Amino acid sequence: MAMAEVHVIGQIMGATGFSESSLLCKWGVHTGAAWKLLSGVREGQTQVDTPQIGDMAYWSHPIDLHFATKGLQGWPRLHLQVWSQDSFGRCQLAGYGFCHVPSSPGTHQLDCPTWRPLGSWREQLARAFVGGGPQLLHGDAIYSGADRYRLHTTSGGTVHLELSLLLRHFDRYGVEC
Amino acid sequence: MAAAAPSVFLLMVNGQVESAQFPEYDDLYCKYCFVYGQDWAPTAGLEEGISQITSKSQDARRALVWNFPIDVTFKSTNPYGCEIPHGLTPALSFEGPQIVLSVYGPDVFGNDVVRGYGAVHVPLSPGRHKKTIPMFVPESTSKLQKFTSWFMGRRPEYTDPKVVAQGEGREVTRVRSQGFVTLLFNVVTKDMRKLGYDTGPPDTQGVSGPSPPQGLPR
Repeated sequence: MAMAEVHVIGQIMGATGFSESSLLCKWGVHTGAAWKLLSGVREGQTQVDTPQIGDMAYWSHPIDLHFATKGLQGWPRLHLQVWSQDSFGRCQLAGYGFCHVPSSPGTHQLDCPTWRPLGSWREQLARAFVGGGPQLLHGDAIYSGADRYRLHTTSGGTVHLELSLLLRHFDRYGVEC
Repeated sequence: MAAAAPSVFLLMVNGQVESAQFPEYDDLYCKYCFVYGQDWAPTAGLEEGISQITSKSQDARRALVWNFPIDVTFKSTNPYGCEIPHGLTPALSFEGPQIVLSVYGPDVFGNDVVRGYGAVHVPLSPGRHKKTIPMFVPESTSKLQKFTSWFMGRRPEYTDPKVVAQGEGREVTRVRSQGFVTLLFNVVTKDMRKLGYDTGPPDTQGVSGPSPPQGLPR
């Protein structure tokens, strides 16, 4: 019996609402144990864009993933880290965010809000003058709810994505989406 | 009549490169080409083209219109047919086709320089799709190089525009987004449903989703 397959095809279009310019985004896809990535790259990093028109940074980063799955648990989640790069090439964290890959076939416009850890008032002052600031030690706090209660965060901007979902053989298993 | 299950599907795309918005530049032409993985092969139509040179209209719209036709048909060529044997990874990857656009125009000295690169996946669901894509140029790394390239008319360019369609290797590039191009696609597919694919509701409105984020033209 053929496995159910999911194609995720689209782009990380860009970001708005960040106070910094010259932004880049590191992204990755996390799935449960029942999912297997058949083709495509699971993670990547976009180019650094400095917008000339308006305040939206555009990445147009292509995403083309092909999954096969034996179960519905662990539906793919896209996690994002937006960083800003200054003229010296140093990177500063602008926001973390995640969103689930849509579960119905067709094209979807996604707006993913982001947040960043706040730190103590000393760290906030240092970040305003010198740059830097606290970062997460383990990236899985971005897409998991465990231990979030320890964090005090402030909000960053929004990342915009356009993803098209193509499902295959889901009707054979009686799955409605 | 033979009732054998189909082993390939067809994707027919027609449409146009409609228009562009570049506030700072005029007298532009664009080149398009299709980029696709090993699982696809074009069977009809043109894979690439160069448009006419267009200038901004004199009215308040300041529109740059190409109205340049696109007409291509792709065939999927997965040798495993419709079924991937359980537990095995297929040898070829999906890599849906993308259209890569490069826009060029004259600089103040009359040289032809690149004004933007952009790429978008060809939609796989049947229907009418309108896409507005941002166009960006690679940025010089230092102010001196920026001045030299402006003076000599040799701007930073990608050696192969198909790089724009890939995600790998992008993390070392710095770019500047400076315009938009609007594309229109009409998509017809054959045998995708018979092969088990569900592409979602047909898009008959032309523009889907909530209003575009600030920065995109309305």
